Amino acid sequence: MQLNGDIMGGSAANKMPLLVGGKRVDGRGVEDLRNIKIVARVLNDADGSAYIEWGKNKILAGVYGPSECIPRHDQSLYRAVVKCRYSMAPFSGMEEHGRSGPNRRSKELSKVIKEAFENVIVSENFPKTQIEVYLEVLQSDGGTRCAAVTAAAVALADAGIPMKDMINAVAVCKIDGEMAVDPGKEEDNFGESDMPIAFSPRTGEVLLFQMDGLLTKDELERGFSLARSASDKIRQLQVDAIKKVYDEPREERFLVISK
Amino acid sequence: MPGELLLDRPERISYAFVDNGKTYSTVVGLYHEGKLVPLEGPYEPLPEDYIVGIVNEVKFSGYSVDINAPFPAYLSSREIRERYAMSDTILAKIALVDEVRSIELVDAKKLPAGRLVKVSSVKIPRIIGKKNSMIDMIKAATTCDIFAGRNGYVWITGSGNATLAEKAIRMIEAQAHTKGLTDRVSVYLKEAKQ
Repeated sequence: MQLNGDIMGGSAANKMPLLVGGKRVDGRGVEDLRNIKIVARVLNDADGSAYIEWGKNKILAGVYGPSECIPRHDQSLYRAVVKCRYSMAPFSGMEEHGRSGPNRRSKELSKVIKEAFENVIVSENFPKTQIEVYLEVLQSDGGTRCAAVTAAAVALADAGIPMKDMINAVAVCKIDGEMAVDPGKEEDNFGESDMPIAFSPRTGEVLLFQMDGLLTKDELERGFSLARSASDKIRQLQVDAIKKVYDEPREERFLVISK
Repeated sequence: MPGELLLDRPERISYAFVDNGKTYSTVVGLYHEGKLVPLEGPYEPLPEDYIVGIVNEVKFSGYSVDINAPFPAYLSSREIRERYAMSDTILAKIALVDEVRSIELVDAKKLPAGRLVKVSSVKIPRIIGKKNSMIDMIKAATTCDIFAGRNGYVWITGSGNATLAEKAIRMIEAQAHTKGLTDRVSVYLKEAKQ
């Protein structure tokens, strides 16, 4: 998305620097993630659920299934079908999202997220069924697809759906010629390049990889190593979120809004 | 945790998989002495399981029954002498589960009026307890009749304190993975009675 520059100081010639003395616009270093908070099991009627706050992103994930696959022409006799719907709330913050509902962007993201999870879910156990993953972006601030993948993995684990790994995703970007991890909205819009990657932490496999802009081979490798170490940190947060469900059992499930 | 290493050697364990000569978990569960017990998950129907089901379709020669599994179950009219209507609750035994996960039921019996508590099927062994200890305790304390189906549907009936029975079951569901649960439930039931 390209804004016409009013917010961030005009044309490319006089654009605001994104990196000054190793510090980024929000005061982070190049290897720092934004503040991430994950809560698992927040919905009563979903089989599994999770809520994530990743910087200013707020995303709710709900998982249903495996259940009988409807419509039946989607069924597979050999495995469960994974369905994913990523959608942004009309109030989620990006300017052109005046109305919610499927659009080109959300359909693309639903597809890439679905394909990432098809690689890890042990779907052979449940022929003729479907597993539904619903991702609702309540507030967006750059990097929602990565936050959505991270939350969805926790929700799937909470639902008890067998997976070969609990995956997560993180983006890297190039700002003012330097590679940095987890771009915020400004860095995403005004940086030179942006590259979301989803990893399977167990094997190191890449399950989702997209790129905007251009990078050299060295920059790409530097980006991957940044993303990998960030991914390990996120995995720990996911594990902690699941553990908390069992360490502090609650009879009612509800969403706790953070202070 | 999904993807967590269990063993450095390949071994067949349910809810686990082998990759590159090592065994990994696929679910959130507790691993102890070669056995992985999932803490959450869908009901996987097995023959001989006694289940509580809800009739959701009356067909020409039988009934389609919701048994909380990913697959619908079928109860043939040949196997039963009663007639059911939609939304009747029945107790039945699973006779057969085939390769494409068609499920056939036998030994069906209509359950008397009561209330249904839906819990996760993996918590049912805890609700029943060792040698029925937990469920007998709840039955005695509330004077309700309780049928805990292996599929996660629990039917509470009779003239007793069904609300208390439901609360006790919810408590067990939330704390199923902890130790000393029978004692805590016993204390809870005693306190609630007073």
